[in-house]
Amino acid sequence: MKISKELIEKYHLGECSPKECETVENWLFSEETDLELQLPATENKEEHKAQMWAEIQTIFPLEAQKTTPQDQKTTPANKIPKLKPEYTITWKKVIAASLILGFISFISYRVYFTPAAPLEFVSVNNNSLMDVRHIESAAYCIALAPESTAKINYQTGIIDFSGSILISPKEDIELNIGGNGGKVIFKTGQTYIAMNGKSQHDQFILINERNLMDLPPVLQKQIISKFKI
Amino acid sequence: MHHTAKTAALLLCSLILCCFFSSCHQQEKEDLNPSKKKYSIYILAKDGKEYLLEIDSLSSGTIKPEDRGALLNGEVMDRDVIVHEGYYYHLSRKKASFEKYKINGKQLILVAAMPLKDFSIENCKWIAGDTLLLTGLNKADYTQVKYLKVNAAAMTRISGGDINIPHPSGKFTSISIGFTELRKDKLLIGYSYNQQLGASNYSTSDTSYVSVLQYPEMTLLKTDKDTRSTSPGGINTIQSYAFNDEKGDYYFMSCPGIALGNRPELPTGIFRINKGDQAPDKSYFFNISGSVIQNHAYGIWYLGNHKAIIRSERKDLFKGLSDHYNTAHFEFYVIDLLKKDIKKLALPLDKGTRRECIIVEGNLAYIAVNSTLHGNYIWIYNITTGTLRKGLQLAGDTDFIMRTDKLN
Repeated sequence: MKISKELIEKYHLGECSPKECETVENWLFSEETDLELQLPATENKEEHKAQMWAEIQTIFPLEAQKTTPQDQKTTPANKIPKLKPEYTITWKKVIAASLILGFISFISYRVYFTPAAPLEFVSVNNNSLMDVRHIESAAYCIALAPESTAKINYQTGIIDFSGSILISPKEDIELNIGGNGGKVIFKTGQTYIAMNGKSQHDQFILINERNLMDLPPVLQKQIISKFKI
Repeated sequence: MHHTAKTAALLLCSLILCCFFSSCHQQEKEDLNPSKKKYSIYILAKDGKEYLLEIDSLSSGTIKPEDRGALLNGEVMDRDVIVHEGYYYHLSRKKASFEKYKINGKQLILVAAMPLKDFSIENCKWIAGDTLLLTGLNKADYTQVKYLKVNAAAMTRISGGDINIPHPSGKFTSISIGFTELRKDKLLIGYSYNQQLGASNYSTSDTSYVSVLQYPEMTLLKTDKDTRSTSPGGINTIQSYAFNDEKGDYYFMSCPGIALGNRPELPTGIFRINKGDQAPDKSYFFNISGSVIQNHAYGIWYLGNHKAIIRSERKDLFKGLSDHYNTAHFEFYVIDLLKKDIKKLALPLDKGTRRECIIVEGNLAYIAVNSTLHGNYIWIYNITTGTLRKGLQLAGDTDFIMRTDKLN
């Protein structure tokens, strides 16, 4: 079905059949542009263009005045006034500046942060008797209790530690902790407490902070004191 | 233009004032009277959120904590809460403040607070109406026994200070208080000494201590030592470990299992301090680990007529402390304290290392069970007939029913 003036009028009057409605709507919402308007053979396209621009110029008198004599000499077809040319240039500058800035930022990010991001391995020894040390990565934060050590392999997700640590994931992550080979899923928004003694008799304990009260009180108090939680 | 700006400023001022007055007005209107509901339930949800909800019946129905409960802020509330006559009392560790709360609808509301510095609560005991006696330890190294007597109605300090129970010596590094019992002008405190062995390991003295103090002076009179078991009682704001029977005999449970004393080679047992005495009866000891149970137990609730329910672990079902709390392995037994009979309750295996999970009311015991397979229910045990049936279900996001309390 072809789109015609009559059909569009019919559509606006609500007199279209469902099929006609569909055709009009498809045409209205389609992103394809119409083919160039075909003028009757008797009409001169250039004349129409010139006439239209003359009408538009009356609305923009300032722009019309600013057009150079050179512009006026050109054929009517080229007499399209450049609307606010100074802004066009400014925008070009802005775009260019943004691109340069973006490029510089990207390069500096690569230069300054690349060595930290794929941090493959970090070994931290917290010798302090009082203070907690915080180690932050893109995926999780680790708080290391006093007198604790941790070796973190960011590539494999293996955390080898002794002492007490708190793990706060920034995204759901699978880590291999405690040296038992098994992976554990750590969920975003939760905090996990892990404990591992230095001697062979010490066991590895991993619990959610919400279950702190389920720990034996002696261990509970130790965690509360060390991390001041 | 100038005039418009003036009007706008004036309007803004009046708007701010309006908001200010309306918020004041709201606070004035807040009902701070005690809750009239019968029971309170503390829930730990699957997403780590916690809820407190109040309800009048535990007999039937289904409730979702996310629909009915007050969402709790972990910074101010935890399950070591003291529930008493329509109010909740809790020590905020971070703020070092002892606080009184109530629930209005789905809101937990702070009623009053008092500073409580350098105090880690080990035991609480209501003595005469609104007077609450807290016993605890200093927070620096948990070696100094302390007490605080509070007027809970006004939230004011009546008295408090150090108690001269000997500090840990030798290899021992801290103390654990397991119970406090007031007998006229004598305060009995049960405790043991702990030894920190590493970041994840510790031990407890092989001896249970019961000290007698002159009350209210809090001066130490004498101490009884008992080596039949260790780790007497436990932190009773988390779970119950002791009670008085109808006659006035005081029973307490020792918990040397890995979740409390970590002296698993010693037996879990029940001790008795007879009415009028100040030390455990040397002729009475109910060995739980040596009985048909063959495991350690934590928690005891009195049913009446010398019967009680205990909650015992199943060492064949968990690997260690990492899965002790989230594996369903706990069983409930009804025991006769005099005849030493033991009868297992036909309940699903329960999870959660320590929970205040039994309310006894008349002929019924309401037992909260967190079953991995069968859901979270309040089971109703008829003490006379010995029958069990399912009551209220905690559904929705519920992961653990952490405590159930009689609110009124």
